[in-house]
Amino acid sequence: MKPRPPTMREKRRYILVRLDPPSLDIDGRDLYYAIGESLTSLYGDCGMARIQPSVVSFGQGYAIIRCTRSTEGQLSTGLAAVNQVQEKNVAVRSIRTSGTMRSLRQHLEGVKGSNPAGEQDVQFQGRSFTAVMYQGTKVDLFEKGFKNQELLFLTEDDLEE
Amino acid sequence: MRYTDACVYPHPLGDSSLRRMALEAGELGFDSVVAVGAAGATIRGVEIVGGTLLQGRDPREVQAAVRRFGQGSAIPMVNAGDYTFNRAILHIGGIRVLRDIQSSPRNSFDHILSRTAAERQVAVDLDISPLVRGRNYVRQKTLHRYADLVRLQSRFEFPLVISSGARSILEMKSPRDMVALCRLFGLDEEGVGQALMGISRLLHPEKPVEVVE
Repeated sequence: MKPRPPTMREKRRYILVRLDPPSLDIDGRDLYYAIGESLTSLYGDCGMARIQPSVVSFGQGYAIIRCTRSTEGQLSTGLAAVNQVQEKNVAVRSIRTSGTMRSLRQHLEGVKGSNPAGEQDVQFQGRSFTAVMYQGTKVDLFEKGFKNQELLFLTEDDLEE
Repeated sequence: MRYTDACVYPHPLGDSSLRRMALEAGELGFDSVVAVGAAGATIRGVEIVGGTLLQGRDPREVQAAVRRFGQGSAIPMVNAGDYTFNRAILHIGGIRVLRDIQSSPRNSFDHILSRTAAERQVAVDLDISPLVRGRNYVRQKTLHRYADLVRLQSRFEFPLVISSGARSILEMKSPRDMVALCRLFGLDEEGVGQALMGISRLLHPEKPVEVVE
């Protein structure tokens, strides 16, 4: 099958998003389902068909989401309304919109730096947590245990107090 | 230009410490946040404005609470109730923000109260969290109420503020995300910008004559 000439192809837009917390264990498919659920609940099936969202790149706390041109505003709204992926609380923060993936990747090289710097066991308010440290002073605490594990977002200063 | 998230709930009301919320707010593009139950401070360049959230059925109880807690630098905010309650609240001196209107009964904030809010410079808060957490009826009702408030605000020009209502850094939204979400109920980018500066205007109102030097 011959590929369509460029002038007859559908125009796309790409949105670079950051996922918080970056240490969370989810994959691109989970993210796609969460975005799909959010967009369907906001704009219905017709809107979803018009937007055609797709997770084209995923990894290290960042993702690139594709949509059709002129629907990037609706996709941004849908992304802002995502609060859970696979029943885990996440934040999907849109950073930049572009017409090519290359420019987003170039931008990403400049902003990267939210990867975990290390883990250690800590005691906080009489309970045991695994602390995930980030560059700067951010610390995420994951409570140890089998169920109802609490997740706390602190800074190194909070731990020292 | 000072963008303020008009209401966040740091630890122990939420799962994120005040310092972490301030860090996150700075990264997201805010200059200040109103933190419920916190004292005023500046953390890494982000100004923390203390907020006191008051809730009651009887306006007299709220008035007493304002006298007790509202004397400091914290911003007194009251959760809205029915029409009579809201009317009484708007006439109590010291209340700066009326919030949670989306949960109050229908017609509890009309054109008459809009005019009163404008005269007394009491801001109305648009909490973004029900749009993110809510689904179906809750979200539809919130969108309808907010669209109505935006219509009233454009006519009577009472102060409007926007809050994330975040109990976690994961629920905090950037101004860009707030613009995207506010578009759902008809508030444009300029309107969102004005609303994000609403707390700054409440704290430092423009005076007819100002001594520059």
